Amino acid sequence: MLLEFKNISKSFGEKEVLKNVSFTVESGKAFGLLGRNGAGKTTSIRILMNVFAQNEGEILLDGKPIDYKKTLIGYLPEERGLYPKKIILEQLVYFAELKGMSYKDAVASVDYWLDRLGMTEYRNKRLDTLSKGNQQKIQLITALAHDPDIVILDEPFSGLDPVNAMLLKDVVRETIEKDKIVLFSSHQMSYIEEFCDSIAIINKGKVALFGDLKEIKRTYPRDKLVVSTTETQRLKDEYSDKCSDLPDGSLLLKLEGGESKKGVMSELVEKFDIDEIKVYEPSLNDIFVEYAGDGV
Amino acid sequence: MKQFSKILKFELKGYFKNKVFIGITLFLVVLIAVGTFIPSLISMIKPDGSDSTPGTDPTTPTADKTMLILSKDESITSVVKEYFTAAFPSYNVRIFDTGVDELKEEVMSGNADCGFVIDSSTSFTYYVNNLSLYDTNAASAGALMQEVYRINEMIKNGLTPEEAAEIMSVSITSNTETLGKNQITNFIYTYVMILALYTVILMYGQMVATNVATEKSSRAMELLVTSADPVSMMFGKVVSSCLAGLMQLTAIFGSAIIFYNINKASFEGNQILDSIFNIPPQLLVFMLVFFILGFLIYAFLYGAIGSMASKLEDINTLVLPVTFLFLIAFFIVIFSMGSSNVDNILMKVASYVPFTSPMAMFTRIAMGSVAWYEIMISIIILIGSVIGVGILCAKIYRAGVLLYGNSPKFSSVVKALLKKS
Repeated sequence: MLLEFKNISKSFGEKEVLKNVSFTVESGKAFGLLGRNGAGKTTSIRILMNVFAQNEGEILLDGKPIDYKKTLIGYLPEERGLYPKKIILEQLVYFAELKGMSYKDAVASVDYWLDRLGMTEYRNKRLDTLSKGNQQKIQLITALAHDPDIVILDEPFSGLDPVNAMLLKDVVRETIEKDKIVLFSSHQMSYIEEFCDSIAIINKGKVALFGDLKEIKRTYPRDKLVVSTTETQRLKDEYSDKCSDLPDGSLLLKLEGGESKKGVMSELVEKFDIDEIKVYEPSLNDIFVEYAGDGV
Repeated sequence: MKQFSKILKFELKGYFKNKVFIGITLFLVVLIAVGTFIPSLISMIKPDGSDSTPGTDPTTPTADKTMLILSKDESITSVVKEYFTAAFPSYNVRIFDTGVDELKEEVMSGNADCGFVIDSSTSFTYYVNNLSLYDTNAASAGALMQEVYRINEMIKNGLTPEEAAEIMSVSITSNTETLGKNQITNFIYTYVMILALYTVILMYGQMVATNVATEKSSRAMELLVTSADPVSMMFGKVVSSCLAGLMQLTAIFGSAIIFYNINKASFEGNQILDSIFNIPPQLLVFMLVFFILGFLIYAFLYGAIGSMASKLEDINTLVLPVTFLFLIAFFIVIFSMGSSNVDNILMKVASYVPFTSPMAMFTRIAMGSVAWYEIMISIIILIGSVIGVGILCAKIYRAGVLLYGNSPKFSSVVKALLKKS
């Protein structure tokens, strides 16, 4: 399956929230929708779920406008919340039924997921008797129990301990393997880096960057060197304006416009006692800061 | 439709699991049971109560209170005492001839409860320490003195005391035949029904608003709004609350009818209860129709309001406009009922306006005269309005639920609505 956002624009009153947003998401691969707070991620998600109507553009599934009667969407909202005073099984079954499941199927599916996430013992408890992390897991079931075609996970890892995060990672991997369209939205770049094959960065309602994550990293300007030396202070004095400290004690040296990597490297080796020089691999964090920051 | 029934079921289940809801219903049923069974129980405890029939009770007073009489015209003293003793059975009536100041002293000190100083047969002063709200002694004494005066005058004019007494105590027999509606008995059950309508709508309206606002503040809304369409959502919530309300009323009135019939013998001759439990069946049908429609139209408004609240605390202020609208309808009806002209112009208009017609038209049917086509027109307008208001409120609901912020503004919701359409 291929989900396409095609030139989506959306305004609330005078405020233009999305401007000509386009990107595609392939099934069987995880997609990361990134952006700073207020960039337009949630609005994009809500348009995808037919909560808001876009002003312009369309959303296509396999080339045809998405049919909400046939396409099931699972959603884990960033603002978590269910009925705190109601029995867990009852509300999970209710949400699955609202998505079109029969009562019997809903109970079976909810029981499967409760078991899968190790929550069966809470089946007949009230939601507000659970810890926050466990409530998160219950919330996740509402996104998955009805076997959706498209799964939207907004900040799925926030508030989970490492063991639960691991469990969630496994579940997400399984979901991707089942050839679902999985759309992530997160500020925790490490998770996006781990899961997502492609990303889109939205900045102020526009797509600032979209593409295959590996490809983005590969084509990202490799113009920084990581230098380990015994003469840190001397090197810093000499290259003061383009040199910065890295947490592990080595230095990051930014190359100027015309400088060649080879030239600078040999210059460094000649002048200083060098232990190691390597090209700096950009992290998603660097890419995010560059594209989602105000510098763009 | 499928979603609607799922939502209806879920919401209804919520009511039946709500301890407060069940508690209030049970409490009221028990209260009615106690109220209706008490007279029977009392007569069971006192099986030898055959000689203490209700009629004999007032004639065996305790006479533990003291009333002093000081008459300046000695010729009427004995007559006055005789009359006062008969008219105030709960008082020990005593002639007091020491003086006015001493009489005041006696009353002030509490030795006597009250006192009359009779200046002449046409003038007296009533002395009492603290005048109670229900103290009618002065008025009764006035009537007595009038009688004493009249009899005295008649005797002076040559009648024997017996003849005079006969003239004074003549009784007139009368009979009233109601050809239209009896507003005295109708008033009571109409009043009870209007009050039930009023209480139930306000209570459930608040419940619907709170229900929606709770979903919004707990953020369950985020999921709901992406899972179900707002019209199903709104109608599911409101219809379920209506059903819950009807079931509650059925439980309360049903148990009242059952208990009343079990204990019918103990309530013989009670006009109020007779009126309440002998409502004409067709009126009950109209009650049901106007109850359901009136309930729905207000519950929709309350639901829409709940969706505009960001916090539960906001609800109390937000519901005020709707509550006022409802109060206006209520007071128009109650005042018209009080004035006994329920077919006045205001009521005629109110019985077609959707927000006031449930109470106004019902009252006119019960107590006034309305043609059947007028009732039909009112019901049709009301049904149309219920559907219209329902759909409008569903739209407000959808626009409102995703607006978070400090002060939800009605204008911003209207704007969001206009943008949508």
